[in-house]
Formats: sequence, C-alpha cells, structure tokens
Amino acid sequence: MTAVRVEDVWFTYEHEPVLRGASFEVAPGSFTALIGPNGAGKSTLLRILLGLLKPERGRVEIFGSPPGGHRSRAAGGSHPIGYVAQRVRLPSGFPISVAEVALMGRYGRLGLFHAPGALDRARAADALARVGMAEHARRRFSDLSGGQQQRVLIARALAGEPRLLLLDEPTAGLDPAARARFYALVCDLQHAQGLTVLCASHDVEVVSEHVDRLVLLDREVRAAGAPREVLASSALAQAYTFPAPHDHGADGA
Amino acid sequence: MSEFLAYGFAQRALATGVLLGLSCAVLAFFVVLRRMAFIGVGISHAALGGVAIGVVLGVSPLLAAMAFSVGVAWVIGWISGRGEISEDTTIGVFFPTAMALGVALISLSPTYRQDLVGYLFGNILSVRAVDVWILAGLATVSLGILAAFFKEFLFLGVDEEAARAAGVPVEPLRYLLLTVLAVTIVASIKLVGIVLVSAFLVVPAATGQAVAASMRGMLAVAIGCALASVAGGLWLSWLWDLPSGASIVLLSAALFFAAVVAGRIRRR
Repeated sequence: MTAVRVEDVWFTYEHEPVLRGASFEVAPGSFTALIGPNGAGKSTLLRILLGLLKPERGRVEIFGSPPGGHRSRAAGGSHPIGYVAQRVRLPSGFPISVAEVALMGRYGRLGLFHAPGALDRARAADALARVGMAEHARRRFSDLSGGQQQRVLIARALAGEPRLLLLDEPTAGLDPAARARFYALVCDLQHAQGLTVLCASHDVEVVSEHVDRLVLLDREVRAAGAPREVLASSALAQAYTFPAPHDHGADGA
Repeated sequence: MSEFLAYGFAQRALATGVLLGLSCAVLAFFVVLRRMAFIGVGISHAALGGVAIGVVLGVSPLLAAMAFSVGVAWVIGWISGRGEISEDTTIGVFFPTAMALGVALISLSPTYRQDLVGYLFGNILSVRAVDVWILAGLATVSLGILAAFFKEFLFLGVDEEAARAAGVPVEPLRYLLLTVLAVTIVASIKLVGIVLVSAFLVVPAATGQAVAASMRGMLAVAIGCALASVAGGLWLSWLWDLPSGASIVLLSAALFFAAVVAGRIRRR
C-alpha cells in the first residue's frame, strides 16, 4: 500500500491557483522532501494531507484512507500522522518543561476529558530518548536552543506513535550545522522505525543528502525522483529562477 | 483584619473576591500563555458599552454587559481567526468603539452617571448576598471549564497548528476560552472595575512566571497572589478608604515586583 497518494489535486485561494493538478506518491518507509520556491504550494499540500484544507479537485489518500479520518477517535482511535511545523514561540520564560511538551503528542489520541496516564508519560519519555533529549526532560522548553526545541517537537510527534511524519519547514531559523543534525536525526528515525517521512523544505542542498526522493513542487509537480536526478533537472533551475508569486494566507511556506 | 471581617459587607466582599480571584488567576495562566492580555483590555472596556445598553433598555447592566462582551469577544475571535486583520488591530477598533458607545449612551441618562465610577473602578463593598451566590456559580462554571479542557487549552497556547493537526477541536475551544474570559471579566467588574480588571487577568500569572520553575508552581503562585491581593487589598481599601479595585491591583502589582526581584536573586 502507498503511504501517501496525491492524485490531480487542485486548490485555489481567492481566485489564485495554489495547486494545479499536483500528483505524486510516497512509498511506505521512505523519506521524501517536498521542495520548491516560496509560494509553490508546499504548506498548502501538507495541510490538505492533514485534512485541514479540502482540495477542490483530485484525490488524496494516507495509507489508503482519506485525510482527516485519523483526527476522529470515532474512526478507531488510530492516529497515523505526526506533524512538526516551524518553531514554536512561547512567551519568554514560560515554565513548561520539555517532558510536558512531548506529552502533548498524546493529546490527540486521548481525546477530550481524558487525562494522560502512566502509559502516555512512558511513551513521551521514550520519544524524548529516541531524539536524544531524555536528559533534558525537566528543563524549561524555552531555555533550549532552536535545534534542541525542534528535536523535542519531533519527540512530541513520535509520542503519538505515527506511521507518517509530516514536517513543514522544520529547520527554519536554524543554523546550517543544526539543520544538518536535524535531518540526520530524522533519517535515523526513519531507518530505525520504518517511519514514512514527508518534509516540506527550503534546504534543497542539505535535505537532498538525507532523503530517498525529492518532489519538486511549483503549484504542480515539476519533477520527482532520486535526489541526483531532480537536482540535475532543468525544472529545478526554472522553478527557482522564476519564483511563483506570493502564496497567500493558506500557505505558510 | 478581624475587626474588618466582623462586618457582613466585608464577609460578602471577601467571599466574592476569593471566588473571582481564583477564576482570574487560573484564566490569567492562559492569558499569559496565549498573549491575550490586550484581548482582556478590549473585552473589559467593551463591557462599558454593554452596561450602557442595559441602562438604556432597562435590563440588568451586568447581564447586558455579559451578553455584549461575549459578542464582542466572539467577533474579535472570528475576525482575527480569518487572518485578514491582525488581532491587535481588531481589538484596537472594537475597544474604543464599544467604550464610545457606552459613554454616548450613558450621557443620555444623566441620573445614571453617579454609578459609572463604580463600574469603572469597582465597588465590591456594595456586593449583596444574592450577588455572592451568582458569582459563586459563575466562578464554579468557569473553573470547571478551565479544568475540564486544561490540556487542550495548553496545547492551543503552545502550538495551535499542531493541536489542530492532532485533531483537537481548536475553533470551538478558542471561542469557549473567549467566552470564559468575557464572562469572568464582567463578573469581576464589581471586584476591580472595568479599567482595572484586565490587570487582574495578567498580573497574578506574571507573578507566578517570575518565580516558579514549573507550570504547577506558576499556577500555585498565581492563585496565592490573587487571593492575597484580594484579601489584603480589601482590608487596605477599608482601612484607608480607597476604591477596592485600585487597592487590590496595587497590592497585586507590588507582589509582582517583589516576585521579579526574588526571581532575579534566585537565578544569580
């Protein structure tokens, strides 16, 4: 079964086409990067995959089911998607701990009126250990560096025991070394746990060193394949030479 | 203090103040986390428009203020949620508009102007026994909602987009929090007044944040600070014949500055 299937997806925001017949697939257990210039529709596509936006046309499936089904406990309580976006900005000095942030990854599974229990805390602690942040569990989240905070957000996503990890520009604001370390960690997690990872990113060079596949999106899919093939394609140069107009409020990328 | 508490009005004032102080302190935790301080200012000042509408229509000013403030809070939430106009701009439009409406309507009712000071700066010593029961009910409902949805409100405050992606019903919960905020603000008007209530929705939690190392600690200090401010402020208000709202907020601010100094000394 394909992990992610995007088939002829169209999306318009205020009469401006954001996605024009985008189609691609993501294989289970693979690490795929969605690259493209500003306004290419990367974040919009991720939000469609999360079920937060509905495409006007086309079909989207996550492990064979329409997106958004995972968000309902009535649908069986499974929660196959972990999501990490750009950096979280808390009020300076707000005393929420790293362990408390990681535990939030269980909240979607728990649903309303259910408090986290011992199992949830154990899963969150395990997720922190997997990203190498276990020894920081009691520290304030806001005291961590940007790279450490992103590791904790990965742990939060992992605490929900996802099969698919969606990352939306997760390294924005990080220095080059921290970006490389971040992608190396994601790559390790993908191999160790058989996770499927789809990551929207601007870091074309850095992310290409770690992924199995690149999908070049510029409102439609311009190229897809092994990193070497896509990086050598003329479509990449065209996409970045003639950037798309700004991509509206529906797309944070 | 014991002499002060021998009076019936003082007992009612203290009971009301404790209940509202508790609600405000827990709510202040989320106001600080979600950076909603300016919304508090906007809703509290909009309440004046509601008071005036109540006066003009001949219904309870506080009930009218509650309905009006909840409406204003929802409209602010709806407009800012669409992302076309920023939240502070939306509040910046509604805050003076609703207040101007209140001033204009109240000016048409000259006999009512004498009560205006009470609404603006609070007069908790005039609380009746029936008010204590009504406010106790409101405080219980507010605290119950905040406790029931604590983890969801926390997730929204930390990372709204991730909460949405995780299946947390973000939109209904945003409006629920705005409703609790508006109701608590209007319920607190007798305690500290329209002008000062927004401070009471920020300062206790800011005090907790200045000294506490954990969220539980922050909440505990916020509640302790709010209750100490209410009890001490009421007593000082009686002792020196000050408006209750002003003395409560001043004491609360004094505790905040003491906490900031204590926090800095501890971190050295």
